[in-house]
Amino acid sequence: MEQKVSENNTLIELKGLTKRYGYGDTESFALKDFDLTIKRGEFIMIMGPSGCGKTTLLDIIGLLDRATRGEYYLNGENVASISARRQARLRAKKIGFIFQNFNLIDDLPIIENVSLPLIYTGYSKTARLKKASSALKRFHLEEREYYLPYQLSGGQQQRVAIARAIVGDPEIILADEPTGNLDSRSSHIVMEELKAIHEEGNTIIMVTHNPALTVYATRVINMLDGQIDTDVKTVADANLPQPISVKIKKKKDEFISLGDEETGKSKKRKKSHRRRKK
Amino acid sequence: MAMLLRTHFKLARTSIKENRTRSFLTCLGIAIGVASIILILSLTGSISNLVQSEISDIGADLMVVRPSSTKDSVTGIVEELTSANSFQKSSLAITDTDAIKKVENVTAAAPIAIATNTVITEKNSFDSVPILGTNIDFIKIEPLPIKYGAFLTAENEANSVVLGHTLSLALFNTINSTVGKMVTIMGEKFMIVGILDKIDKTINFDNIDYDNALIMNINSLDKISGSTQIQQINIKVSNTDSLAPAKEAITTALTEQKHGDKNFSVAYGDEITHPASNLFTIVSGMLAIVAGISLVVGGIGVMNIMLVSVAERTHEIGIRKAVGASARNILIQFLFEALILSILGGVFGLLLGYVLAFLLSTITPFTPYISWQIVAITFLTTLVIGILFGIYPALKAANKDSIESLKHYR
Repeated sequence: MEQKVSENNTLIELKGLTKRYGYGDTESFALKDFDLTIKRGEFIMIMGPSGCGKTTLLDIIGLLDRATRGEYYLNGENVASISARRQARLRAKKIGFIFQNFNLIDDLPIIENVSLPLIYTGYSKTARLKKASSALKRFHLEEREYYLPYQLSGGQQQRVAIARAIVGDPEIILADEPTGNLDSRSSHIVMEELKAIHEEGNTIIMVTHNPALTVYATRVINMLDGQIDTDVKTVADANLPQPISVKIKKKKDEFISLGDEETGKSKKRKKSHRRRKK
Repeated sequence: MAMLLRTHFKLARTSIKENRTRSFLTCLGIAIGVASIILILSLTGSISNLVQSEISDIGADLMVVRPSSTKDSVTGIVEELTSANSFQKSSLAITDTDAIKKVENVTAAAPIAIATNTVITEKNSFDSVPILGTNIDFIKIEPLPIKYGAFLTAENEANSVVLGHTLSLALFNTINSTVGKMVTIMGEKFMIVGILDKIDKTINFDNIDYDNALIMNINSLDKISGSTQIQQINIKVSNTDSLAPAKEAITTALTEQKHGDKNFSVAYGDEITHPASNLFTIVSGMLAIVAGISLVVGGIGVMNIMLVSVAERTHEIGIRKAVGASARNILIQFLFEALILSILGGVFGLLLGYVLAFLLSTITPFTPYISWQIVAITFLTTLVIGILFGIYPALKAANKDSIESLKHYR
């Protein structure tokens, strides 16, 4: 039965997921009998007021947290009750995290930050750095491989974090307010990168407060008190009115389009030149 | 897995490099503990080494009978050390030597008895001169170099003495015209018949400083000092094959002589090498315990710094867990760090210990003694210290909740 479900292109299936905090008088539910099915290739945005259980949901899907009860099928396998060690292995291989505050290790150069998940999937150092380097290249950070995180802007740090999330070719990318700490310009760049990743066939689940970003999503879920309030499928279309951030500068469109095509050396230089001026 | 271990090793190395001062100080704690242990081990090693080389110089056909002790336990030894008459109750008697001489294959047997007394010459008088009482066989067993004159002979042994190099200088301010002069000990006059060459070996299996000693016949010594305590009897056998049967025969002969009391021990080869004095064993044992304590303190230092490191890097632990590190990965990472710290300390300590032992050897007769066993012991000790004091911080790191850790900022 479960095998059939996964053939059916279902990636994640949550059944009756409940997360309770506290006992007795202090008892509260971050998630209450939560049901959700996610198909491969979806770009889901989860919205809702603070404390509605968005982040808890993301942590549980990302195997960082365990539900109090309920079932969680990942690729048809019930992973809710597997050992912490197997959960860690799944995290390393199948899940990529992107956080609001980037969560890069301050003491490591960004290339090592990006290669971090590969350590735990058993790549050799050379292979790790090679993969990390090509991931960074994709985000136009190849010239900053040996910078430390604090030497980069917020937008750049978040792109490093995205590179880290995708470096191990995960099946799910989880993003917890990835633009929450960024200005609108950087937000836009980050969202465009996520969009590009999604267009390559990746599944992205993103928590956000910003309704303007929902244009990128294929499905928008509104949560309220640990349950689904609305669940709307949208068609993300580049031709739809773009979020406000797009209007900032005309130049930016040109810059963003660089991400999608093979970038020439001259263009790269132009980009970094512009960044420095900024 | 091997790959992962190597990666963890590199991670730990990086982290140690990043906190250079802190790591150095932690290593220093371990290093001092290890250095003191190395110092003690190398000095004890040097002493048994000296005795061993001396015995191999004398020859493999040497045997020794020592008064053994009814007091083998530690309390017995302490009692022996603290009582004023420590050597006053030797179980060996002068007649035992004669009994041993009758045993087959024994070619020579010389008793060694030590007393101290005042030696008077025409001009000087010296207190507390160590007097070695023995017999003419002594020189057959231990060919001490004679500078002037000759050793005691059967004709003159009753009233002749042989002086050590330094003692001769002290009594007469000379060594070359001393032979033939007289010394008075307890009213008895003795003629000096020989002067030993400078020997400069204060550590030997007889436990006698020959340069400062006066050698005379044991019967004469017995006469002037009243009671003579024999600390050992040196024996030479005809060949090395007869060592074991001779030991058997000597044991039987002496037991008979003593009416069944087996209060002596017969030793040859490596059994002789332990220094005759228990004092040394006790002192070095105590020092080793003190050094061990300092090593434990060093270990606590490692634990302390690892706890700080874990607390400081809570956020990092959270990130690592989020990207796929298991609790075991984190455990190994931090355990490796503790291990590297303590092993590095051990290596420093090894070097420091030998440098100290070397410095000490310039002002004492010791020579630093290096063996692979000492290096292995050091390595194992620091390994154990590293695991013992590193496991708790590492477990603490491994058990951190990933979500909580991610929220944690420095």
